[in-house]
Amino acid sequence: MKKSYVIGGLVIILALAMAMYSFKSTLTSYVTVSEAKASNRPVQVAGVVVTGTDRYDLKNNNLLFTLREDGGDEMKVEYDGPRPGNFDNVTKVVAIGKYQPEKQTFLASELLVKCPTKYEGRVKGE
Amino acid sequence: MNNLGELTIWLGLIAIGISSGCYWVLNSREDDTLAQNVARYSFTGFVALITLASIFLMLAILKHEFIYSYVANYSSRDLPLQYLISSFWAGQEGSFLFWVLMGAWLGIFLMHMAGEMEPQVMFIYNLNNLFLTILLIKQSPFKMLATTPADGQGLNMLLQDPWMVIHPPVVFLGYAAFTIPFAYAIAALWRREYDNWIRPTLPWTVFAFLSLGAGIIIGGFWSYKVLGWGGYWGWDPVENASLLPWLAGAALMHGMILQQSRRKLRKTNFILAAVSFLLIIYCTFLTRSGILADFSVHSFQDLGITGWLVFFMFGFLAITLWFFVTRVRDIPVADKGAAFSYFSREFGLMAAMIILCLSALLTGVGTSAPLITRLAEKASKVSTQFYVDTNLPLALLMVLLLSFVPLLAWGKNDFAKLSRKLIWALLGAVLSGTITLYHGYPGLVLLLLAIFAGAAVGVNLHLAITLIRKKFTMSAGAIAHLGVGLMFVGIIASSVYDRSEKVLLPQGQMEPALGYEMKFSGPKFIREPKGVRLDLPLDVKKGNTQFVAQPDIRSENRRDGQGMRFTRPHIRRGLVSDLYISPVDFQPGKEESRSVSRKQFELKKQQKIQFEDYEITFVGFDISGMMAKKEGQGVSVGADIVVSYKGEDPLTLKPVLTMGKEGNTSSRVKLPGPAEAYLSLTRIEASSGSIVLDYQGPASGQDQIVEKSPPAFIAEVSIKPGMTVLWLGTFLILFGGGIGVARRWPK
Repeated sequence: MKKSYVIGGLVIILALAMAMYSFKSTLTSYVTVSEAKASNRPVQVAGVVVTGTDRYDLKNNNLLFTLREDGGDEMKVEYDGPRPGNFDNVTKVVAIGKYQPEKQTFLASELLVKCPTKYEGRVKGE
Repeated sequence: MNNLGELTIWLGLIAIGISSGCYWVLNSREDDTLAQNVARYSFTGFVALITLASIFLMLAILKHEFIYSYVANYSSRDLPLQYLISSFWAGQEGSFLFWVLMGAWLGIFLMHMAGEMEPQVMFIYNLNNLFLTILLIKQSPFKMLATTPADGQGLNMLLQDPWMVIHPPVVFLGYAAFTIPFAYAIAALWRREYDNWIRPTLPWTVFAFLSLGAGIIIGGFWSYKVLGWGGYWGWDPVENASLLPWLAGAALMHGMILQQSRRKLRKTNFILAAVSFLLIIYCTFLTRSGILADFSVHSFQDLGITGWLVFFMFGFLAITLWFFVTRVRDIPVADKGAAFSYFSREFGLMAAMIILCLSALLTGVGTSAPLITRLAEKASKVSTQFYVDTNLPLALLMVLLLSFVPLLAWGKNDFAKLSRKLIWALLGAVLSGTITLYHGYPGLVLLLLAIFAGAAVGVNLHLAITLIRKKFTMSAGAIAHLGVGLMFVGIIASSVYDRSEKVLLPQGQMEPALGYEMKFSGPKFIREPKGVRLDLPLDVKKGNTQFVAQPDIRSENRRDGQGMRFTRPHIRRGLVSDLYISPVDFQPGKEESRSVSRKQFELKKQQKIQFEDYEITFVGFDISGMMAKKEGQGVSVGADIVVSYKGEDPLTLKPVLTMGKEGNTSSRVKLPGPAEAYLSLTRIEASSGSIVLDYQGPASGQDQIVEKSPPAFIAEVSIKPGMTVLWLGTFLILFGGGIGVARRWPK
C-alpha cells in the first residue's frame, strides 16, 4: 500500500510537470501592437477591425483585415482558419499568433471574436 | 410606478433570512415545533415570492414594458413567443433570478426529503439562497429607465434558436442542484454522521450531474448548429466554467457509490461535494466579474458583484474548512482489515476519480491562467492546445479504465474469470483500431485512444444489453459508460478525420467540393422585421443522392446603427458523417465596362521606360512630406518622375502617396501631351527602393474592358465524420444518468 502511494504520487507529479510545461509553452500574453511587432513569441493583440479593411482572399484562402488597438496603432492581420461566423458583428477581436516582419503582417493562428452575446460583454459596457 | 418586482425580491430576502434563523434555532432545539413551522413557512414564502418575482419579470417581457431596463435590453416587440420567454434568461440579471428560482423550487423537495437532517441541510442550503438573493438585489432585473423606449433592443440573433431557449435553464438547474450535495455534506459534518448522508444525497448528485451535463451538451450542440465554425467545444472560459463543476461532480458521484458500497473515501467525498459547489461560485466569478472578458488591468475595477462573489466564495470556503478541520479526526477511516487489490472495482473507481479530478484541476488552471499570470507579470491566456495536451492523456486513461473496470466486482477479482468477458473489449478494440488505421494513422496517442474507446464501447455495450435484460434500472452505469466510449470515438473521428475545403460558387455553375457537385442557384433576399435574410440555396449532388442545402446570411440593423451579420450553416446529418456547409462570404454580381486602359509599372531608381508615346524616368524620392507630419494626416512620400512626350522637353512630375489611418491615398498627376492620361503612385517597395506607378489613359480600341461576374458565394464545405456517434454518446451519458436518478430516487 505504501509503495503504491509513492508510485501513484510520482505519476501524478510527472503528469503535473508535463502540464506545467504545456502551460508555459502555450501561454500567450496580451501585448500592444508595437510590442507584438517586436516579439518573436506567439502573443495576442486585441483591437477592432478597421471598417472596410476586411476581405476574404480566395486565392490564398485567408481572411485579411487591419486591426486597430485602443491607442490607435494598427497592423495588418492575416488569418487562414475558417472565418468566424460572427466576424461581422464583432466589437472586438483578439488575434493570437506571431508577427512576420518580412510580410509586415501579423499571422494569426487563432482569432477570438468577442462573443456578441450581451450576456458576457455588457457588464463592461455599462 | 411602484416597483413590485423589486419589492417581492426584498420580501423574499427577508423570508429566507427568517427561515435561515429558525433553522439555526432548530439545530440546537430539535423539537421546537414553532421554530420548525416558521422555518418551513418562511421558506415556502420565499419560494412563493421568488416565483412571483419571476412571474412579474415574465409578464413585463410579454407585455413589452420597456420601462424596465432589462426588458428593453433583451427583448423587442417583434420577437416570437418562445424567444420572448427565453429573453428572461438571456442576460445576467434575469439568469440570476432564474438560478434563484430553480434553487427555490428544488428546495421545496429538499425540505421534505431531508428528514432528520433538515435543520442543518436547509440552513446551509438557505445560506446559498440568501447569497444569490443578495446578488439579485445588487443586479436587479427590475431596474427602471428614466424614459420608456418605444421598442427594445431585441434578442441577439444567435440566441434565437430553440436550443438556446432551453440551454440556460438546464444549466442553472444544474447549478442550483449542486448546492444540495454541498448542503448535505456540511450538514453531515455538522451532525458528525459521516455515512448516512450518502444515501439521500446520491440521487441529487446524479441529478445535478445529469442537468449540468445536459446543459453543457445542449450548448455544444447549439454551437455546432448555429455558429458555423464547425466545432462543438472551444475550451472557452464560459464553456469551461460549467465543465469544471461537472467533472468534480462526476468524481463525487463515483466516490459516493464507493462509500455507499464499501465504506471508503469518507473524507474525499466531503471535499469533493464542497469543491464541486465552490467551483460553481468560482466559475460564476470568472465569467461574470468581467475578469476574463478581456484581461486588461481594468477589469478588477468593476466591483458591482465581483466583491460579493469573492466574499461568498471565501465565506463558503471558510465554513467548509471550519467544519472539516474540527471533524477530521472524528471521521472513521476505511476498514483496514479488507484486502486491497489493484484489480478491483474499488481501485478502478478511485483511479477514475483521480482522472476526473486531474482533468478538472488542469482545465481549471488553464481557465484561470489570466488570473494566475497576472500575479507574476502580464495577464496571459493559454491557447486551446494546453487543454488538449493535458486532457488527451487523461482521456486515454479514462477509456482504458472503462474497457475493463465495469466488469470487475468489489474486492479481489480473478483474471481468468474475467478474460471471457474481455472478448468484447478485444472485439471493440480491433474493430475501432482497424477502422482508424484504414483512414490513416493519426499518431500513437490518438490511435490508442481510438482502440481503448472501441474496447470501452464493446464492453459496455455488452454489459448494458446483459443488464437491461436482467433488470433495466441496473443498466444506468453501463449505458452512461457506453455513452462516454461513443463520445470519444466521435470526438476522434470528427476532430482528426474531418476534411474541409473552401469553394467559390458562382451562380449557375456546377462546382466540385469534396466529392460532391454543388450548384448555387442564386441568392434570395427575404425581408425580415429587422433586417434582411439572404438565402443561398445550393443544389448538392453525389451519385444518386440529391438535395437542396439552405445556408443563409442574415443581416440585422440595430438601433445603435451597427449592422450585424450572422451566417448560418446547413448541416446534412448522416450516420457516418455530416456534410457541413457554412457560408463564408457573398459577392453580388458585377457588370461594368470601362473605356479606360490601366497599366502598372514597377520602377527602380534611375530606371527609364518607354510606354506608348512617353518616356518615363524615376529620379528619386521626395521625403519632405514625411517631415511635415501633422496630427491625423499621416505620412506622405513623393516620387520625382521625369516624363517626356514624343521626345519633347522633359517635365518633372511629382505624384504623392499618403499613408494615413484610413489607408493609403495617392494623388494623380496629368501626363504631358493632349491625351487625358494620368499617373499615380500606388506603392513604395521600401526594401528594393522601387515604386509602383499606375497609368490611366484612354483605351486603344481592344483594351475596352467589360467586366462581368455573376453573384457568387464562398462556402466552407466540410465532411465531419462521427458527429452522429458523438451526439448519440452524449445522449446515452444523459440517458444513463436519468436511469440512475430514477433508480436511486427515494420511493
